[in-house]
Amino acid sequence: MHELLEVSNVVAGYGSGPAILNGADLDVAKGEIQCIIGPNGAGKSTLMKAIIGLLPIRSGEIRLLGERIDRLRPDQILQKGIAFVPQERALFPKMSVRENLRMGGYTIRNETELKRRIDDVLDRFPILRERASQHAGTMSGGQQQMLAMARTLIVRPKIVMLDEPSLGLAPMIVKQMFDIMHQLRDSGMTVLLVEQNAVVGLKNANRGTVLDLGRTLFSGPAKDILTDPRVRELYLGKAAA
Amino acid sequence: MLSSMLQVLILGLALGGVYALMASGLTLIFGVMRIVNLAHPIMIIAGAFVAYWLFRLYGVDPILAMPIAASVLFVIGVALYKLVFEKEAASAKYSEMTVLLTFAVALCADGLLGALFSNTQRVTTPAYATDAFIFGTVFIPKGQAYAGAISLLVIGALLAFLNFTRFGTAIRATTQNRAAAQLMGVNVGRVSLITFGIGIALAGAAGALVSFIFSFFPAKHWEWIAILMSLVVLGGMGKLVGAILGAFLLSVIAAFVGTYFGSTWSTMTFFLALFVILLVKPEGLLGDRQEEA
Repeated sequence: MHELLEVSNVVAGYGSGPAILNGADLDVAKGEIQCIIGPNGAGKSTLMKAIIGLLPIRSGEIRLLGERIDRLRPDQILQKGIAFVPQERALFPKMSVRENLRMGGYTIRNETELKRRIDDVLDRFPILRERASQHAGTMSGGQQQMLAMARTLIVRPKIVMLDEPSLGLAPMIVKQMFDIMHQLRDSGMTVLLVEQNAVVGLKNANRGTVLDLGRTLFSGPAKDILTDPRVRELYLGKAAA
Repeated sequence: MLSSMLQVLILGLALGGVYALMASGLTLIFGVMRIVNLAHPIMIIAGAFVAYWLFRLYGVDPILAMPIAASVLFVIGVALYKLVFEKEAASAKYSEMTVLLTFAVALCADGLLGALFSNTQRVTTPAYATDAFIFGTVFIPKGQAYAGAISLLVIGALLAFLNFTRFGTAIRATTQNRAAAQLMGVNVGRVSLITFGIGIALAGAAGALVSFIFSFFPAKHWEWIAILMSLVVLGGMGKLVGAILGAFLLSVIAAFVGTYFGSTWSTMTFFLALFVILLVKPEGLLGDRQEEA
């Protein structure tokens, strides 16, 4: 029985520079929220870029439901069922909210189906319906993050990967973001999350993985990682106490 | 005095439409691929030669030859992208390399066209090219009027394609954020290939119109690159609507300068404008001060 997503011994880096990932491993099960934590430079974001195909891997394997996806382009990996919201949110600033959502459904060729899915997403994010005609680049950080998440849901992916979704957001908005993640998990979707605020990330996750220097140190239930003395000392500081 | 100014304005506007079409492909290619295509004007010349020979050999009207010139240049554009630029897309020195490569393409194409057709000045001569619409004291050369109007139609069709079709939306998305477009399922490699082809096809279409309003020869493209760059930079690099505005604005200014200070200064207007824009407002009329992600 395969995990939903399996990353095995992946080595990757930018251009001809040194490797950022030095044999990273990751297993993600269906229907869970998994949080990847680690210090700055551990390779958390790089791992996500490698999974989605934005960064070619030098060796190792990445499999989705047992099928290798590590030689595919990002658009092909999206069609296999992995959606990604990078740290910078990757919106189209000169397009309206509705146009951004339409781009989220670029791979859906049936216009009726696309409109229905956009409507479904706007029901889930009422603030976006109010601002459907507004240019994405003129929205607040929280609204942009909502839009970035909402846009990935149009294609109903198997896994949503979120890189630092709470970055620069007010605590109340961060809480809303995690509430949405819980709803997604409860509806059967899988969420893979990189979070600099490890305490918040792990408290909202089922499982955690600890990365350092491009390697996976260990992974396990999020509540165990939260209380693991090595992790607390290395990555969480006294905040977890 | 007033009718003379109106005359200059009309001539400037008619040429502005053609300049806008000449610049549209250049700015489209830059917007999507960040390629400053120094070979764009020689592709316009190539389009002009297609129209010229169709007119000379078969009597095909250059306006009717426009789709043929655009199709021929589309194929050349796609082939060029596949052979020369596609491999560079992953290069860390992409920007520098593509500037050098487009320069090399311009030199080669210039040499090839010169060897094939010599550097003799040529022009197609359909009947309307030497005729004019006359309204009281004001006249509009029919050639410029037709070329300007057809240019605007082609640009309108291009804008409609970009705004109302699925592939056009993918081009706009890739222009705004290439990585994000990939994450939405857009095959940006294919978008780049087709966009490069469309950009060069627009050069071909412009060339067919240019063939009856200007005399042309292969080496003429060196003069046009500065003119086209000034239009594109004034509008904001990669901004199609900006390039169109820039084309009309500079064309009208150049027409007035040419009338009141002499034709040499008319061409100089574009070069001076390029300097001034880069010094005062390098992001152009519609450009962003900060580069989009």
